Amino acid sequence: MTLAIRTRNLTRRFSGRFGICDLDLNVPAGTIYGFLGPNGAGKTTTIRLLLDLLRPERGQIALFGQPLNRRMRQTLGLVGALVESPSLYQHLSGRENLEITRRLIDAPRTRIDQVLDRVGLKPAAGRHVRDYSLGMRQRLGIALAMLGAPRLLILDEPSNGLDPAGILDMRRLLRSLVRDDGITVFISSHLLAEIEQIASFVGVLQAGQLRFEGRLDDLRARAKPKLGLRCDSPAHAVDLLRAAGEEIVWSDPQTLSITLSRRSPEEINRMLVSNGVGVSHLAVENVSLESLFFDLTDAIAVEDAV
Amino acid sequence: MSPLLRALSAEGLKLRHTLALRMCLIAPCVVVALFVAQMFLLGRPSHPPTDSAKAWIGLSENILTLWSLVMLPLFVTLQSALLAGIEHNDRHWKHLLALPVARRVHYLAKLFVLIGMVVTANAFLALFICVGGTLLMLVQPAIGLAGPPPLAYLSEKSACMAAASLLMVALQNWIAIRWSSFTVAVSFGMTATVVGMMVVQSKGLAPWYPWSMPTMAISFDGAFTSIAVAVALIGGIVAAAIGLMDFERHEFS
Repeated sequence: MTLAIRTRNLTRRFSGRFGICDLDLNVPAGTIYGFLGPNGAGKTTTIRLLLDLLRPERGQIALFGQPLNRRMRQTLGLVGALVESPSLYQHLSGRENLEITRRLIDAPRTRIDQVLDRVGLKPAAGRHVRDYSLGMRQRLGIALAMLGAPRLLILDEPSNGLDPAGILDMRRLLRSLVRDDGITVFISSHLLAEIEQIASFVGVLQAGQLRFEGRLDDLRARAKPKLGLRCDSPAHAVDLLRAAGEEIVWSDPQTLSITLSRRSPEEINRMLVSNGVGVSHLAVENVSLESLFFDLTDAIAVEDAV
Repeated sequence: MSPLLRALSAEGLKLRHTLALRMCLIAPCVVVALFVAQMFLLGRPSHPPTDSAKAWIGLSENILTLWSLVMLPLFVTLQSALLAGIEHNDRHWKHLLALPVARRVHYLAKLFVLIGMVVTANAFLALFICVGGTLLMLVQPAIGLAGPPPLAYLSEKSACMAAASLLMVALQNWIAIRWSSFTVAVSFGMTATVVGMMVVQSKGLAPWYPWSMPTMAISFDGAFTSIAVAVALIGGIVAAAIGLMDFERHEFS
Protein backbone atom coordinates (compact mmCIF):
# COMPACT_ATOMS: atom_id res chain seq x y z
CA MET A 1 0.00 0.00 0.00
CA THR A 2 1.46 3.38 -1.03
CA LEU A 3 1.54 5.83 1.86
CA ALA A 4 0.83 9.47 1.17
CA ILE A 5 2.08 10.42 4.64
CA ARG A 6 4.42 8.36 6.76
CA THR A 7 5.84 9.72 10.00
CA ARG A 8 8.07 7.95 12.46
CA ASN A 9 8.67 9.07 16.05
CA LEU A 10 7.56 12.55 15.09
CA THR A 11 7.91 14.67 18.20
CA ARG A 12 7.48 18.34 18.94
CA ARG A 13 6.69 19.56 22.45
CA PHE A 14 5.88 22.98 23.81
CA SER A 15 6.19 24.23 27.34
CA GLY A 16 2.77 24.17 28.97
CA ARG A 17 1.17 22.37 26.03
CA PHE A 18 1.13 18.78 24.79
CA GLY A 19 2.58 19.13 21.30
CA ILE A 20 2.97 15.65 19.85
CA CYS A 21 5.07 12.72 20.96
CA ASP A 22 6.42 9.80 18.88
CA LEU A 23 3.69 10.06 16.29
CA ASP A 24 3.67 7.25 13.71
CA LEU A 25 1.16 8.20 11.03
CA ASN A 26 0.39 5.98 8.04
CA VAL A 27 -1.94 7.68 5.60
CA PRO A 28 -2.80 5.48 2.60
CA ALA A 29 -2.72 7.19 -0.80
CA GLY A 30 -6.01 7.83 -2.58
CA THR A 31 -8.16 7.91 0.56
CA ILE A 32 -9.80 10.48 2.79
CA TYR A 33 -8.04 10.24 6.14
CA GLY A 34 -9.81 11.81 9.07
CA PHE A 35 -7.47 13.13 11.74
CA LEU A 36 -9.57 13.31 14.86
CA GLY A 37 -8.98 14.66 18.29
CA PRO A 38 -10.34 17.17 20.77
CA ASN A 39 -9.17 20.77 20.68
CA GLY A 40 -5.57 21.02 21.85
CA ALA A 41 -4.78 17.36 21.09
CA GLY A 42 -1.98 18.33 18.69
CA LYS A 43 -3.74 18.17 15.31
CA THR A 44 -2.63 21.59 14.10
CA THR A 45 0.90 20.99 15.43
CA THR A 46 1.03 17.78 13.38
CA ILE A 47 -0.21 19.59 10.28
CA ARG A 48 2.31 22.38 10.76
CA LEU A 49 5.06 19.77 11.01
CA LEU A 50 3.79 18.06 7.85
CA LEU A 51 4.07 21.40 6.04
CA ASP A 52 7.51 22.31 7.42
CA LEU A 53 6.03 25.29 9.24
CA LEU A 54 7.42 23.81 12.47
CA ARG A 55 10.60 21.85 12.90
CA PRO A 56 10.39 18.52 14.72
CA GLU A 57 12.51 17.82 17.78
CA ARG A 58 12.99 14.34 16.39
CA GLY A 59 11.44 11.95 13.92
CA GLN A 60 11.00 11.71 10.17
CA ILE A 61 8.33 12.71 7.69
CA ALA A 62 7.95 11.20 4.23
CA LEU A 63 5.32 12.25 1.70
CA PHE A 64 4.78 9.63 -1.02
CA GLY A 65 8.11 8.17 0.04
CA GLN A 66 10.01 11.45 -0.34
CA PRO A 67 11.56 12.81 2.85
CA LEU A 68 10.55 16.27 3.99
CA ASN A 69 12.78 18.61 5.90
CA ARG A 70 13.97 22.20 5.60
CA ARG A 71 16.64 21.21 3.10
CA MET A 72 14.22 19.14 0.96
CA ARG A 73 11.27 21.48 0.63
CA GLN A 74 10.57 20.47 -2.97
CA THR A 75 8.58 17.59 -1.44
CA LEU A 76 6.01 20.24 -0.53
CA GLY A 77 5.24 20.46 -4.26
CA LEU A 78 3.17 17.31 -3.74
CA VAL A 79 1.02 19.01 -1.15
CA GLY A 80 -1.72 21.60 -1.10
CA ALA A 81 -2.84 22.87 2.28
CA LEU A 82 -5.43 24.90 4.07
CA VAL A 83 -4.32 25.49 7.65
CA GLU A 84 -7.07 26.81 9.90
CA SER A 85 -8.67 29.81 8.15
CA PRO A 86 -7.67 30.60 4.56
CA SER A 87 -4.93 33.23 4.15
CA LEU A 88 -6.29 35.73 1.66
CA TYR A 89 -5.35 39.23 0.55
CA GLN A 90 -8.56 41.11 1.26
CA HIS A 91 -7.76 44.05 -1.01
CA LEU A 92 -7.39 41.82 -4.06
CA SER A 93 -9.88 39.78 -6.07
CA GLY A 94 -10.19 36.01 -5.81
CA ARG A 95 -8.43 35.63 -9.16
CA GLU A 96 -5.56 37.94 -8.07
CA ASN A 97 -5.15 35.91 -4.88
CA LEU A 98 -4.76 32.78 -6.98
CA GLU A 99 -2.40 34.59 -9.37
CA ILE A 100 -0.01 35.43 -6.51
CA THR A 101 0.34 31.78 -5.53
CA ARG A 102 0.46 30.74 -9.20
CA ARG A 103 3.42 33.05 -9.80
CA LEU A 104 5.21 31.76 -6.71
CA ILE A 105 4.86 28.09 -7.63
CA ASP A 106 5.15 28.67 -11.39
CA ALA A 107 1.90 26.85 -12.20
CA PRO A 108 0.37 27.22 -15.69
CA ARG A 109 -2.00 30.19 -16.13
CA THR A 110 -4.83 27.87 -17.21
CA ARG A 111 -4.75 26.28 -13.78
CA ILE A 112 -6.50 29.30 -12.23
CA ASP A 113 -9.68 28.79 -14.26
CA GLN A 114 -9.55 25.06 -13.62
CA VAL A 115 -9.50 25.43 -9.83
CA LEU A 116 -12.07 28.25 -9.89
CA ASP A 117 -14.36 25.95 -11.88
CA ARG A 118 -13.73 23.13 -9.47
CA VAL A 119 -14.76 25.09 -6.40
CA GLY A 120 -17.57 26.93 -8.21
CA LEU A 121 -16.09 30.40 -7.76
CA LYS A 122 -15.60 31.42 -11.38
CA PRO A 123 -18.51 33.90 -11.47
CA ALA A 124 -17.18 35.66 -8.33
CA ALA A 125 -13.49 35.51 -9.27
CA GLY A 126 -13.27 39.21 -10.10
CA ARG A 127 -14.79 40.40 -6.84
CA HIS A 128 -12.71 41.65 -3.94
CA VAL A 129 -12.16 38.95 -1.33
CA ARG A 130 -13.33 41.32 1.41
CA ASP A 131 -16.82 41.03 -0.15
CA TYR A 132 -16.79 37.21 -0.05
CA SER A 133 -18.91 35.20 2.37
CA LEU A 134 -17.20 32.83 4.79
CA GLY A 135 -18.11 29.85 2.58
CA MET A 136 -16.66 31.54 -0.50
CA ARG A 137 -13.44 32.31 1.36
CA GLN A 138 -13.17 28.69 2.43
CA ARG A 139 -13.69 27.55 -1.16
CA LEU A 140 -11.06 30.02 -2.36
CA GLY A 141 -8.72 28.61 0.30
CA ILE A 142 -9.25 25.15 -1.15
CA ALA A 143 -8.73 26.49 -4.68
CA LEU A 144 -5.39 27.95 -3.49
CA ALA A 145 -4.46 24.57 -2.02
CA MET A 146 -5.33 22.84 -5.33
CA LEU A 147 -3.49 25.31 -7.54
CA GLY A 148 -0.27 23.30 -7.72
CA ALA A 149 -2.17 20.12 -8.75
CA PRO A 150 -1.17 18.40 -5.50
CA ARG A 151 -1.34 14.66 -4.87
CA LEU A 152 -2.10 15.31 -1.21
CA LEU A 153 -4.50 17.87 0.23
CA ILE A 154 -4.04 18.74 3.91
CA LEU A 155 -7.04 20.53 5.38
CA ASP A 156 -7.18 21.73 8.97
CA GLU A 157 -10.79 21.98 10.21
CA PRO A 158 -12.05 23.07 6.77
CA SER A 159 -15.73 23.15 7.75
CA ASN A 160 -15.15 25.64 10.60
CA GLY A 161 -17.71 28.40 10.33
CA LEU A 162 -19.52 26.90 7.34
CA ASP A 163 -23.31 26.65 7.28
CA PRO A 164 -24.92 23.21 6.65
CA ALA A 165 -25.15 23.83 2.90
CA GLY A 166 -21.49 24.87 2.83
CA ILE A 167 -20.52 21.73 4.74
CA LEU A 168 -22.41 19.57 2.23
CA ASP A 169 -20.66 21.34 -0.67
CA MET A 170 -17.32 20.78 1.00
CA ARG A 171 -17.99 17.06 1.45
CA ARG A 172 -19.09 16.72 -2.17
CA LEU A 173 -15.94 18.52 -3.35
CA LEU A 174 -13.59 16.39 -1.25
CA ARG A 175 -15.23 13.15 -2.38
CA SER A 176 -14.94 14.19 -6.02
CA LEU A 177 -11.26 15.09 -5.56
CA VAL A 178 -10.53 11.59 -4.34
CA ARG A 179 -12.80 9.84 -6.84
CA ASP A 180 -11.99 11.85 -9.99
CA ASP A 181 -8.44 13.07 -9.40
CA GLY A 182 -7.04 10.34 -7.15
CA ILE A 183 -5.99 12.97 -4.59
CA THR A 184 -5.36 11.90 -1.01
CA VAL A 185 -7.20 14.10 1.48
CA PHE A 186 -5.90 14.44 5.04
CA ILE A 187 -8.55 16.30 6.98
CA SER A 188 -8.39 17.23 10.64
CA SER A 189 -11.44 17.84 12.77
CA HIS A 190 -12.64 17.66 16.34
CA LEU A 191 -16.08 16.60 15.05
CA LEU A 192 -16.43 12.84 14.69
CA ALA A 193 -19.79 13.16 12.91
CA GLU A 194 -18.11 15.27 10.21
CA ILE A 195 -15.29 12.78 9.66
CA GLU A 196 -17.67 9.80 9.76
CA GLN A 197 -19.45 11.22 6.72
CA ILE A 198 -16.44 11.30 4.42
CA ALA A 199 -13.38 9.46 5.75
CA SER A 200 -12.48 5.85 5.14
CA PHE A 201 -9.40 5.91 7.39
CA VAL A 202 -9.07 7.66 10.73
CA GLY A 203 -6.41 8.53 13.22
CA VAL A 204 -7.46 9.53 16.72
CA LEU A 205 -5.10 11.86 18.53
CA GLN A 206 -5.25 12.69 22.22
CA ALA A 207 -2.73 14.68 24.23
CA GLY A 208 -0.22 14.42 21.39
CA GLN A 209 -0.41 10.64 21.08
CA LEU A 210 -2.10 8.51 18.46
CA ARG A 211 -4.75 6.43 20.23
CA PHE A 212 -6.09 4.66 17.14
CA GLU A 213 -5.27 4.46 13.49
CA GLY A 214 -7.01 2.34 10.89
CA ARG A 215 -10.12 1.94 8.80
CA LEU A 216 -13.24 3.61 10.05
CA ASP A 217 -14.90 0.18 9.84
CA ASP A 218 -12.29 -1.22 12.24
CA LEU A 219 -13.09 1.58 14.66
CA ARG A 220 -16.78 0.76 14.27
CA ALA A 221 -16.01 -2.91 14.92
CA ARG A 222 -14.56 -1.88 18.27
CA ALA A 223 -17.90 -0.39 19.16
CA LYS A 224 -19.37 -3.66 20.44
CA PRO A 225 -22.79 -3.46 22.09
CA LYS A 226 -23.04 -3.91 25.85
CA LEU A 227 -25.60 -5.69 27.94
CA GLY A 228 -26.87 -3.92 31.06
CA LEU A 229 -27.91 -6.41 33.73
CA ARG A 230 -29.49 -6.24 37.20
CA CYS A 231 -30.08 -9.32 39.36
CA ASP A 232 -30.64 -10.48 42.93
CA SER A 233 -27.06 -11.69 43.53
CA PRO A 234 -24.61 -9.59 41.45
CA ALA A 235 -21.46 -11.00 43.07
CA HIS A 236 -22.48 -14.55 42.16
CA ALA A 237 -23.42 -13.41 38.64
CA VAL A 238 -19.99 -11.79 38.21
CA ASP A 239 -18.26 -15.02 39.26
CA LEU A 240 -20.36 -17.05 36.85
CA LEU A 241 -19.86 -14.71 33.91
CA ARG A 242 -16.12 -14.29 34.49
CA ALA A 243 -15.75 -18.05 34.70
CA ALA A 244 -17.53 -18.21 31.33
CA GLY A 245 -15.00 -15.75 29.90
CA GLU A 246 -17.23 -12.69 29.65
CA GLU A 247 -15.89 -9.12 30.03
CA ILE A 248 -17.71 -7.33 32.84
CA VAL A 249 -17.58 -3.89 34.37
CA TRP A 250 -19.76 -2.36 37.05
CA SER A 251 -21.85 0.43 35.54
CA ASP A 252 -23.09 1.35 39.01
CA PRO A 253 -23.39 -0.59 42.32
CA GLN A 254 -26.54 -2.34 41.11
CA THR A 255 -25.85 -2.76 37.41
CA LEU A 256 -23.36 -4.91 35.55
CA SER A 257 -22.26 -4.10 32.03
CA ILE A 258 -21.19 -7.00 29.83
CA THR A 259 -19.48 -6.58 26.46
CA LEU A 260 -21.41 -8.66 23.94
CA SER A 261 -18.86 -10.58 21.97
CA ARG A 262 -19.15 -14.25 22.88
CA ARG A 263 -22.77 -14.95 23.81
CA SER A 264 -26.12 -13.48 22.93
CA PRO A 265 -28.27 -11.78 25.63
CA GLU A 266 -30.59 -14.83 25.61
CA GLU A 267 -27.70 -17.23 26.30
CA ILE A 268 -26.41 -15.04 29.14
CA ASN A 269 -29.87 -14.83 30.67
CA ARG A 270 -30.34 -18.62 30.39
CA MET A 271 -26.95 -19.29 31.95
CA LEU A 272 -27.61 -17.03 34.95
CA VAL A 273 -31.14 -18.29 35.57
CA SER A 274 -30.09 -21.93 35.31
CA ASN A 275 -27.46 -21.21 37.98
CA GLY A 276 -30.01 -19.72 40.39
CA VAL A 277 -29.54 -16.03 39.68
CA GLY A 278 -32.79 -14.04 39.45
CA VAL A 279 -32.49 -11.53 36.57
CA SER A 280 -34.66 -8.43 36.98
CA HIS A 281 -33.33 -6.23 34.14
CA LEU A 282 -31.65 -7.02 30.85
CA ALA A 283 -31.06 -4.34 28.22
CA VAL A 284 -28.80 -4.15 25.15
CA GLU A 285 -26.93 -0.82 24.89
CA ASN A 286 -25.51 -0.06 21.46
CA VAL A 287 -22.19 1.83 21.67
CA SER A 288 -22.04 4.77 19.32
CA LEU A 289 -18.85 5.63 17.47
CA GLU A 290 -18.96 8.90 19.32
CA SER A 291 -18.84 7.27 22.74
CA LEU A 292 -15.99 5.05 21.52
CA PHE A 293 -14.19 8.21 20.38
CA PHE A 294 -14.69 9.69 23.83
CA ASP A 295 -13.48 6.46 25.41
CA LEU A 296 -10.31 6.67 23.32
CA THR A 297 -9.72 10.33 23.99
CA ASP A 298 -10.79 10.28 27.65
CA ALA A 299 -8.68 7.29 28.64
CA ILE A 300 -5.40 9.14 28.39
CA ALA A 301 -6.86 12.23 29.98
CA VAL A 302 -7.73 10.09 33.01
CA GLU A 303 -4.23 8.59 32.99
CA ASP A 304 -2.77 12.09 32.89
CA ALA A 305 -5.00 13.28 35.68
CA VAL A 306 -3.82 10.36 37.83
CA MET B 1 12.02 32.68 -14.46
CA SER B 2 13.96 32.24 -11.22
CA PRO B 3 12.07 31.76 -7.94
CA LEU B 4 13.22 35.21 -6.76
CA LEU B 5 11.92 36.94 -9.89
CA ARG B 6 8.63 35.06 -9.54
CA ALA B 7 8.40 36.16 -5.91
CA LEU B 8 9.14 39.76 -6.92
CA SER B 9 6.40 39.61 -9.52
CA ALA B 10 4.01 38.22 -6.86
CA GLU B 11 5.02 41.06 -4.53
CA GLY B 12 4.18 43.51 -7.29
CA LEU B 13 0.68 42.08 -7.54
CA LYS B 14 0.19 42.17 -3.76
CA LEU B 15 0.99 45.89 -3.78
CA ARG B 16 -1.87 46.73 -6.14
CA HIS B 17 -4.32 49.20 -4.61
CA THR B 18 -2.13 49.60 -1.49
CA LEU B 19 -1.01 52.68 0.40
CA ALA B 20 2.56 51.35 0.31
CA LEU B 21 2.76 51.79 -3.45
CA ARG B 22 1.18 55.26 -3.42
CA MET B 23 3.56 56.38 -0.67
CA CYS B 24 6.51 56.20 -3.11
CA LEU B 25 4.91 59.15 -4.86
CA ILE B 26 3.16 60.87 -1.96
CA ALA B 27 6.08 61.09 0.51
CA PRO B 28 8.58 62.94 -1.75
CA CYS B 29 5.75 65.03 -3.19
CA VAL B 30 4.69 66.19 0.29
CA VAL B 31 8.25 67.18 1.27
CA VAL B 32 8.82 69.18 -1.92
CA ALA B 33 5.33 70.73 -1.80
CA LEU B 34 5.86 71.85 1.80
CA PHE B 35 9.17 73.43 0.97
CA VAL B 36 7.90 75.14 -2.19
CA ALA B 37 4.89 76.47 -0.27
CA GLN B 38 7.18 77.79 2.46
CA MET B 39 9.46 79.53 -0.06
CA PHE B 40 6.48 81.00 -1.84
CA LEU B 41 4.89 82.29 1.35
CA LEU B 42 8.12 83.71 2.78
CA GLY B 43 8.66 85.75 -0.37
CA ARG B 44 11.99 87.38 -1.22
CA PRO B 45 14.86 86.16 1.01
CA SER B 46 16.98 88.78 2.79
CA HIS B 47 20.13 87.59 0.97
CA PRO B 48 19.04 86.12 -2.37
CA PRO B 49 21.80 84.20 -4.18
CA THR B 50 23.23 86.04 -7.09
CA ASP B 51 24.25 82.87 -8.93
CA SER B 52 21.25 80.87 -10.27
CA ALA B 53 23.19 77.59 -10.01
CA LYS B 54 23.83 78.28 -6.32
CA ALA B 55 20.13 79.02 -5.88
CA TRP B 56 19.26 75.60 -7.31
CA ILE B 57 21.85 73.88 -5.11
CA GLY B 58 20.61 75.78 -2.06
CA LEU B 59 17.03 74.75 -2.68
CA SER B 60 18.07 71.14 -3.33
CA GLU B 61 20.26 70.98 -0.20
CA ASN B 62 17.44 72.15 2.04
CA ILE B 63 14.94 69.71 0.63
CA LEU B 64 17.43 66.81 0.58
CA THR B 65 18.38 67.42 4.22
CA LEU B 66 14.75 67.48 5.35
CA TRP B 67 14.10 64.31 3.34
CA SER B 68 17.16 62.34 4.43
CA LEU B 69 16.92 63.24 8.09
CA VAL B 70 13.19 62.94 8.73
CA MET B 71 11.06 61.78 5.85
CA LEU B 72 13.26 58.99 4.45
CA PRO B 73 13.65 57.16 7.82
CA LEU B 74 9.92 57.53 8.45
CA PHE B 75 9.21 56.36 4.89
CA VAL B 76 11.37 53.26 5.39
CA THR B 77 9.67 52.61 8.74
CA LEU B 78 6.18 52.85 7.31
CA GLN B 79 6.89 50.98 4.09
CA SER B 80 8.61 48.07 5.82
CA ALA B 81 5.72 47.79 8.29
CA LEU B 82 3.15 47.92 5.47
CA LEU B 83 5.02 45.37 3.35
CA ALA B 84 5.39 42.92 6.21
CA GLY B 85 1.87 43.70 7.44
CA ILE B 86 0.45 42.36 4.17
CA GLU B 87 1.69 38.93 5.29
CA HIS B 88 1.10 39.28 9.04
CA ASN B 89 -2.56 40.16 8.43
CA ASP B 90 -4.65 37.04 7.90
CA ARG B 91 -1.52 35.06 8.82
CA HIS B 92 -0.24 34.66 5.30
CA TRP B 93 3.10 33.27 6.36
CA LYS B 94 1.54 29.86 7.04
CA HIS B 95 0.38 29.74 3.41
CA LEU B 96 3.56 31.16 1.87
CA LEU B 97 5.97 29.06 3.90
CA ALA B 98 4.07 25.85 3.11
CA LEU B 99 4.69 26.38 -0.61
CA PRO B 100 7.57 24.56 -2.33
CA VAL B 101 9.60 27.77 -2.45
CA ALA B 102 12.79 28.33 -0.45
CA ARG B 103 12.11 30.46 2.62
CA ARG B 104 14.88 32.90 1.77
CA VAL B 105 13.09 33.80 -1.47
CA HIS B 106 10.18 35.37 0.46
CA TYR B 107 12.54 37.36 2.70
CA LEU B 108 14.74 38.58 -0.13
CA ALA B 109 11.72 39.55 -2.22
CA LYS B 110 10.45 41.76 0.61
CA LEU B 111 13.92 43.31 1.07
CA PHE B 112 14.37 44.01 -2.64
CA VAL B 113 10.89 45.53 -2.93
CA LEU B 114 11.68 47.82 0.01
CA ILE B 115 15.01 48.82 -1.57
CA GLY B 116 13.16 49.40 -4.85
CA MET B 117 10.68 51.65 -3.10
CA VAL B 118 13.47 53.69 -1.49
CA VAL B 119 15.22 54.10 -4.85
CA THR B 120 11.92 55.05 -6.52
CA ALA B 121 11.02 57.58 -3.82
CA ASN B 122 14.50 59.14 -4.05
CA ALA B 123 14.18 59.35 -7.84
CA PHE B 124 10.75 60.99 -7.46
CA LEU B 125 12.23 63.40 -4.93
CA ALA B 126 14.86 64.51 -7.44
CA LEU B 127 12.17 64.88 -10.10
CA PHE B 128 9.86 66.84 -7.80
CA ILE B 129 12.73 69.16 -6.80
CA CYS B 130 13.14 70.00 -10.49
CA VAL B 131 9.39 70.53 -10.89
CA GLY B 132 9.06 72.49 -7.63
CA GLY B 133 12.06 74.69 -8.46
CA THR B 134 10.70 75.42 -11.93
CA LEU B 135 7.36 76.34 -10.39
CA LEU B 136 9.07 78.68 -7.91
CA MET B 137 11.01 80.21 -10.76
CA LEU B 138 7.69 81.21 -12.31
CA VAL B 139 5.71 82.29 -9.25
CA GLN B 140 8.51 83.71 -7.07
CA PRO B 141 11.35 84.98 -9.32
CA ALA B 142 12.82 86.97 -6.39
CA ILE B 143 14.23 83.76 -4.98
CA GLY B 144 16.84 83.82 -7.69
CA LEU B 145 16.22 80.50 -9.37
CA ALA B 146 17.00 80.44 -13.07
CA GLY B 147 18.18 78.10 -15.76
CA PRO B 148 17.98 74.31 -15.86
CA PRO B 149 17.83 72.25 -12.65
CA PRO B 150 21.08 70.56 -11.51
CA LEU B 151 20.21 67.08 -12.76
CA ALA B 152 23.67 65.58 -12.31
CA TYR B 153 23.91 66.90 -8.74
CA LEU B 154 20.43 65.63 -7.85
CA SER B 155 21.08 62.21 -9.43
CA GLU B 156 24.34 61.82 -7.50
CA LYS B 157 22.80 62.86 -4.16
CA SER B 158 19.75 60.63 -4.68
CA ALA B 159 21.96 57.65 -5.44
CA CYS B 160 24.15 58.36 -2.39
CA MET B 161 21.11 58.65 -0.11
CA ALA B 162 19.62 55.42 -1.44
CA ALA B 163 22.90 53.56 -0.97
CA ALA B 164 23.45 55.01 2.51
CA SER B 165 19.99 53.91 3.62
CA LEU B 166 20.70 50.22 2.98
CA LEU B 167 21.60 49.38 6.60
CA MET B 168 18.52 51.18 7.90
CA VAL B 169 16.40 49.36 5.29
CA ALA B 170 17.85 45.95 6.18
CA LEU B 171 17.29 46.49 9.92
CA GLN B 172 13.79 47.84 9.52
CA ASN B 173 12.83 45.05 7.11
CA TRP B 174 14.02 42.43 9.59
CA ILE B 175 12.15 43.97 12.51
CA ALA B 176 8.92 44.39 10.55
CA ILE B 177 8.98 40.76 9.39
CA ARG B 178 10.19 39.30 12.68
CA TRP B 179 7.50 40.90 14.88
CA SER B 180 3.94 40.74 13.63
CA SER B 181 2.90 43.87 15.52
CA PHE B 182 2.71 46.98 13.36
CA THR B 183 3.30 49.02 16.52
CA VAL B 184 6.66 47.36 17.22
CA ALA B 185 8.03 48.14 13.75
CA VAL B 186 6.70 51.71 13.71
CA SER B 187 7.76 52.53 17.28
CA PHE B 188 11.24 51.23 16.62
CA GLY B 189 11.59 53.23 13.41
CA MET B 190 10.21 56.44 14.90
CA THR B 191 12.44 56.23 17.95
CA ALA B 192 15.48 55.52 15.78
CA THR B 193 14.56 58.51 13.57
CA VAL B 194 14.32 60.89 16.54
CA VAL B 195 17.63 59.59 17.89
CA GLY B 196 19.07 60.09 14.40
CA MET B 197 18.09 63.77 14.48
CA MET B 198 20.20 64.19 17.61
CA VAL B 199 23.06 61.94 16.51
CA VAL B 200 23.44 63.79 13.21
CA GLN B 201 24.82 66.76 15.13
CA SER B 202 27.79 64.67 16.23
CA LYS B 203 30.30 64.32 13.42
CA GLY B 204 31.96 61.46 15.29
CA LEU B 205 28.83 59.34 15.65
CA ALA B 206 26.64 60.30 12.72
CA PRO B 207 28.48 58.38 9.94
CA TRP B 208 28.10 55.21 12.02
CA TYR B 209 24.42 55.51 12.97
CA PRO B 210 22.14 53.85 10.37
CA TRP B 211 19.38 56.46 10.60
CA SER B 212 21.73 59.40 10.06
CA MET B 213 23.85 57.76 7.35
CA PRO B 214 21.70 59.09 4.44
CA THR B 215 22.17 62.66 5.74
CA MET B 216 25.89 62.13 6.17
CA ALA B 217 26.11 60.68 2.65
CA ILE B 218 24.87 63.95 1.18
CA SER B 219 26.94 66.12 3.51
CA PHE B 220 27.68 69.13 1.44
CA ASP B 221 31.43 69.19 1.81
CA GLY B 222 31.39 65.51 0.83
CA ALA B 223 33.64 64.62 3.78
CA PHE B 224 31.44 61.76 5.04
CA THR B 225 29.93 60.50 1.80
CA SER B 226 32.33 57.62 1.23
CA ILE B 227 32.35 56.38 4.80
CA ALA B 228 28.56 56.62 5.22
CA VAL B 229 27.89 54.79 1.95
CA ALA B 230 30.55 52.13 2.63
CA VAL B 231 29.35 51.45 6.18
CA ALA B 232 25.71 51.35 5.04
CA LEU B 233 26.46 48.93 2.20
CA ILE B 234 28.60 46.56 4.26
CA GLY B 235 26.37 46.86 7.31
CA GLY B 236 23.27 46.40 5.14
CA ILE B 237 24.58 43.17 3.68
CA VAL B 238 25.52 41.87 7.14
CA ALA B 239 22.14 42.90 8.63
CA ALA B 240 20.28 41.33 5.69
CA ALA B 241 22.23 38.09 6.15
CA ILE B 242 21.47 37.99 9.89
CA GLY B 243 17.79 38.75 9.25
CA LEU B 244 17.69 36.04 6.61
CA MET B 245 19.20 33.45 8.95
CA ASP B 246 16.70 34.39 11.62
CA PHE B 247 13.82 34.16 9.13
CA GLU B 248 14.98 30.68 8.05
CA ARG B 249 14.68 29.50 11.64
CA HIS B 250 11.67 31.51 12.75
CA GLU B 251 8.36 29.72 13.30
CA PHE B 252 5.37 31.90 12.48
CA SER B 253 2.18 31.21 14.40
